[in-house]
Amino acid sequence: MSALRTEEFTVNMGPHHPSTHGVCRLILTMDGEKVVKVEPVIGYLHRALEKICENRTYVQCIPILDRFEYVTAMSCNYVFALAVEKLAEIEVPERAEYIRVIMLELNRIASHLLFYGVTAMDIGALTPFLYGLRERELIIDLFEMTCGQRLTYNYIRIGGVARDLPPEFVPKCREAVKIITDKLVDYEGLLNENPIWKVRNQGIGYLSPEDAIAYGVSGPVLRASGVEYDIRKNDPYSIYDRFDFNIPTHQNGDCYDRYLQRLAEIKESLKIITQALDGLPEGEIQPKKKINAITYKPPAGEVYARVENSRGELGVYLISDGSTKPVRVKTRGGSYNQLQALPIMVNDCLIADLVAIFASLDVIMPEVDR
Amino acid sequence: MGVLKDFFNLLKGMTITGKHLGRRAVTIQYPEQKMQMFERSRGVVVLLSDKETGDLNCTMCMLCMRACPTAAIYIDAPRDENKKRVLKEFKVDHALCCYCGLCEEACNFSAIKLANKYEFSTWDIDDLVWDVNKLQDVGRDVPYVDTRKKKPAAKAAAKPAEKKADDKKSAADGAKPSAEENKQSEGDKPSEPKATDTAAADKTAPAKDEKAVDSSPDETPESDETRRSADDDTKKGDA
Repeated sequence: MSALRTEEFTVNMGPHHPSTHGVCRLILTMDGEKVVKVEPVIGYLHRALEKICENRTYVQCIPILDRFEYVTAMSCNYVFALAVEKLAEIEVPERAEYIRVIMLELNRIASHLLFYGVTAMDIGALTPFLYGLRERELIIDLFEMTCGQRLTYNYIRIGGVARDLPPEFVPKCREAVKIITDKLVDYEGLLNENPIWKVRNQGIGYLSPEDAIAYGVSGPVLRASGVEYDIRKNDPYSIYDRFDFNIPTHQNGDCYDRYLQRLAEIKESLKIITQALDGLPEGEIQPKKKINAITYKPPAGEVYARVENSRGELGVYLISDGSTKPVRVKTRGGSYNQLQALPIMVNDCLIADLVAIFASLDVIMPEVDR
Repeated sequence: MGVLKDFFNLLKGMTITGKHLGRRAVTIQYPEQKMQMFERSRGVVVLLSDKETGDLNCTMCMLCMRACPTAAIYIDAPRDENKKRVLKEFKVDHALCCYCGLCEEACNFSAIKLANKYEFSTWDIDDLVWDVNKLQDVGRDVPYVDTRKKKPAAKAAAKPAEKKADDKKSAADGAKPSAEENKQSEGDKPSEPKATDTAAADKTAPAKDEKAVDSSPDETPESDETRRSADDDTKKGDA
């Protein structure tokens, strides 16, 4: 009796699939239940943000770039402001720098908390989702109190920040830091040693450090593969060199380590926020010569600015010809490279594992498609 | 042994969840109860009115229109025969608006604000284009800090000028101290938004034109600032 004839077949996963965090289509080549090959198809969320920026003034670009990566819109605001500041050599007041660091780190925590919840829900645990979003709400409230919006902040300006902190911010922020520190124990208790969680995540989606570097992967995914690289330490921007914090790394490079990595990063961010709140000076929040939203003209030139985002390296390459509008705004988001690395992480896994891998990369599609 | 350990770990997770048994719900039952929004929350765009006179604060300088990244604001204010701006149309398309608040920042006259109101859904997208009356009506009860500089001083300068139009000297006396006051108040507030650079450029030019046309006999050498604010007052009266 001859063996059954088998052949590979193709399955479309997405574009509308609850676990793709946006609209991403994955073309899967299946051998029975095993995923042999995966090919991401991107572009469903393309909004031509870079092109839109070309016919806006520099300050008007900031609310546009809010939409670039809306989970950490503060970083997007900041990286653009940083690029213009580098180009025009604008001095940023001390208080503004501290406020920026507090905001960036709060945003990083909010993003990781969202990851915690969403990833757990993708894998099938609903409770962590509610927990993660509950604590994220504290941070979002702080943002709304300061800059008026919950997602698209439009807060960080060229040379400073838009508005000063409200008086109740500092005590509320300290309270939030305390609550999150306490709740992290709960988070770890819920998932870290949970046997189902471990089975679903350990050893799944291995990414070697060599591959990670070759694919340009950055951020927590890179560090979970054992490469100690963080722009906050390796190429410090703002005032990050004044704070005492570590870069946690994990060695296994699987989904479980990427999860642990992000929880560890929340703790480091909390450390930075506490130090920044302690050292928050009084003073101006905008440079003496305030940037005018309509008429501001930086000098002609090219500049690349990058920051460490919760999803890796977030960069802006800016070309200016000395007029009120940028000639070119090229953005670089970490998600793009991480999605690129997805095909090499699929080693004959099941579709359910693919969901776990995709979730552990924390890809956000608007950042990929722009 | 492994099974027992796994069971224990599962139980640990259950205990964490179990802590929530018997806690009261924190949900807000939306249509009946409403959430208290933060004062800075950026919701619907409104036009603010003067607290005393009830007129619009807007001076039709068009800065908000130029600052808007999505071209959601449309202002049509042609000049009449006296070269004064007359507000014909002020429309905000809430469907285009991205609620960034740049218009509020650009405004030097506390005229436009993103209020913390959020219920403005409609059945028809065209109803989201609000004209000046609706913008003003919604903005009537919005609290705001009047940051218009030298407003009282401007009135003081304008009133004696009107009352004693015949008497040149007294008008000049009335105007001069107020101009000094302005300078003082400016000196007190070094953090006053410098964004007025263009505003000043924009405003002083028409102001000069108008003064030239009006050519009131009691024109005294005032600082540009006083002129501008006096000019604003007359505009407000027109609007």
